[in-house]
Amino acid sequence: MPLLLIVSGIAFGLLQLVPGGPIEVYLSNPGVRPEDLERLRRALGLDRPLWVQYVSWLAAFVRGDWGFSFSDGRPVLDRIVERLPASLELLGASFVLALAAALPAGILAAVKRRTFTDRAISAVAAAGVSIPAFWLGLMLQLTFALGLGWLPSAGRGAEGDGLARLEYLVMPAAVLAFVHAAAWSRYLRASMIEVLAAPFVAAARARGVNARSRLTRHALPNALAPVATVILLDAALMVPGAVVTESVFAWPGVGSLFTEALGRRDYTVLMAMLMVSSVAVVAFNLLADLIHAWLDPRVAS
Amino acid sequence: MKRVRLLSACLTALALAACGGGSGTGGGATAPAGTTGPASGASASRLVVGYDREPDTLNRFSTHILEDIESCVVEGLVTTDEHMTIVPLLAASVPTLENGGVVLRKDGGMDVTWKLRPEVKWHDGTPHTSADVKFTVEAINSPAYNPESTDGFDRITSVDTPDPLTAVLHYHEVYAPYALQFVRGTLPQHVLAGRDIDTANDYNRAPLGTGPYKVGEWKSGEYIRLDAVPNYWRGAQFPAIKTLLFKFIANTNTRITQLKSGEVDMVVMFPWDKHREVAAIPGVSVHRIDGNGYEHVTLNERAFPAFADVRVRQALTHAVDRALLSTTILEGLAPVTHGPVQPVSWAHNPNVRQYAFDPARAAALLDEAGWRDSNGDGVRDKGGQRFSFTLITQAGFAVRENVAQVLQRQFKDVGVEAAVQLHDGTSISKLWFEGKFHAMLHWWQLPADPELALFFAKDRMPPAGRNINYVSDDALTTLVYAADRTVSQAERTRILGEAQARIADLAIEIPLYGVTKLDAVPARLKGFTGNPTNTGPFWNVHAWTLE
Repeated sequence: MPLLLIVSGIAFGLLQLVPGGPIEVYLSNPGVRPEDLERLRRALGLDRPLWVQYVSWLAAFVRGDWGFSFSDGRPVLDRIVERLPASLELLGASFVLALAAALPAGILAAVKRRTFTDRAISAVAAAGVSIPAFWLGLMLQLTFALGLGWLPSAGRGAEGDGLARLEYLVMPAAVLAFVHAAAWSRYLRASMIEVLAAPFVAAARARGVNARSRLTRHALPNALAPVATVILLDAALMVPGAVVTESVFAWPGVGSLFTEALGRRDYTVLMAMLMVSSVAVVAFNLLADLIHAWLDPRVAS
Repeated sequence: MKRVRLLSACLTALALAACGGGSGTGGGATAPAGTTGPASGASASRLVVGYDREPDTLNRFSTHILEDIESCVVEGLVTTDEHMTIVPLLAASVPTLENGGVVLRKDGGMDVTWKLRPEVKWHDGTPHTSADVKFTVEAINSPAYNPESTDGFDRITSVDTPDPLTAVLHYHEVYAPYALQFVRGTLPQHVLAGRDIDTANDYNRAPLGTGPYKVGEWKSGEYIRLDAVPNYWRGAQFPAIKTLLFKFIANTNTRITQLKSGEVDMVVMFPWDKHREVAAIPGVSVHRIDGNGYEHVTLNERAFPAFADVRVRQALTHAVDRALLSTTILEGLAPVTHGPVQPVSWAHNPNVRQYAFDPARAAALLDEAGWRDSNGDGVRDKGGQRFSFTLITQAGFAVRENVAQVLQRQFKDVGVEAAVQLHDGTSISKLWFEGKFHAMLHWWQLPADPELALFFAKDRMPPAGRNINYVSDDALTTLVYAADRTVSQAERTRILGEAQARIADLAIEIPLYGVTKLDAVPARLKGFTGNPTNTGPFWNVHAWTLE
């Protein structure tokens, strides 16, 4: 709780440091006169001292009143909630895809350490970590939407499209998954190598446990525990990480709402999103601890 | 065992996802590359528009974003056509002094009489009447509602409605742009009376209008679908296109990609640097129209006092090779301009002083003003101060960033140093509004009515206006205010012409080029004209057809 309070203070301060505010957004229209700007400033409560703005925001926020969006006047909660399904769809698919790629890649790289397979996997992982998401997104669009014509280039499809909607999900999910899978496979590889060298694996081998069993029943569960923590902490950061991907693919999730709100200096929406993200990070931390304990009984006791 | 099962569940889910994607691709739901027939795009009665942003609200008086979507639904009493002429829409005619619609009163005020078209009905069947005009004025002047601007409305003291089709507006002082007072339409009294309009989201998200379309669906973050109304007042044959789908695609590259793949049919006002790429797309034609805006360099006399010397400003104007900019970076898309009022406007004065590209003349003028390179470092100085200023401009416009670099080079050639700084849109608004810059490369997009006082009167420096050159000239101030208090167009043309000549003589800012609007439309779209003003290209959407 005190942590979230500090976060809210910092977030509020940082937003004030970004040059330009919700009123400046109106300046692009010459028809907006100085008296209009003053009137709008009062209407949005921006004429009050900063600390008053913060305290009144905080007092309302903790009571569950997230206020109204500065840019379209609708309740902030509505604006965020309507974007959640798209975000969860994208993040869920990316998470599953990333896991599905990272697990075999990490294990394989560890088992075939210092072979061609390992080096090839490492090279792909290095590319995943270093290629910017927007570039990868554009390349996929050029290849699969324009070149081959297999997939729609952007958007989320219409509700009536049924299974065809999945086509829209493929590229953005792949881009987001690639970035995360690359990092996760590296963690898993390192963890597996460490565990495979541990005495209990050698002991299992001495007992005559076959290679496959040694890997799946002895080494993997032990290697996964620390990696699971990293993955969950990373997953909490997938939301902000999706901002660029959502923009390239015009994906109507929370990330594109954030970009839009930032451009319009929509303080109430931005504050709510920053607070929700903070809570998510805290929650995933907790979840990571629980899962670590479940995977590794030593932590629990 | 449990853990292994979890893993295999993940793998199964992945396989399912992959299969879903795979089976769909076989269905041919998307267009193969290179074909001109858009698959998810236009049918004979559907037009998909790739739009760069989602509107904040569809209430035309509340929004602070272009009203392209709104103008298909809510019609003004007038609109401005492709020649920037004000033409009647829901009004039977545009009131003028000549037709008796405008009467100047002895007390300095004016009365404007609007006659409405009798056949117009709101989409719910209620007639559109003078009561709606009266309600609109009262709502906007009410402290309970926060529209974007109250400009002009705040000069109206009362409205009389002698009959349902006549509204008489009483202004307490002359308001020259009166004809555009209701270009944003009217608010339906029978829907909004007695309500808090700021939060009336049933109206703000799907306004009741009189236009050819109504809002079918607004999917936040994705699209707005407009459906043709069955009994449009111009006749049942309008509009020919039954559905308009505005897809929100903020990323410019993605918008162009969708145009190529046929997922969108049309992209309005795309950036100039994409011109070649878009022009090469089969089935797409690029429509170009000179806009009522101009790109220029604002010289802030207050923040950088060297600009206060008219010889310095004239020198800097002579230093810029505008023809070169126009033919190279702008690829001939934008015409060189010599002042704030563009040829598309009736008020344009073509006979103002022009500053040819002449570095020698520029150097001589700077010498004369006392700016000489006394220490041989290549930059002029005077009284120990170097002629070195910052030129700010908005980031993200490739063309503008290139122009800024050319300007920097051309100023350097006459011994003047400019450092280019890029800022995001809202940041730059704050900078100019607070006068915290030396020079700025930007455009003003002017309304159809040329109002210069806001930009050039000496008492309209921010926060009171947009005189961000911080120019303080009595003669010019008198002229621009006189124009604002004149209703006769012939007389206004004369006064505004003089004002433009004065602005050019003083070289208050460096005009560069007129802002051209580029719209990518399907080659088979007929009736599209574009529009030079912020009225936007959808002003005549009812007459569009897809062949």
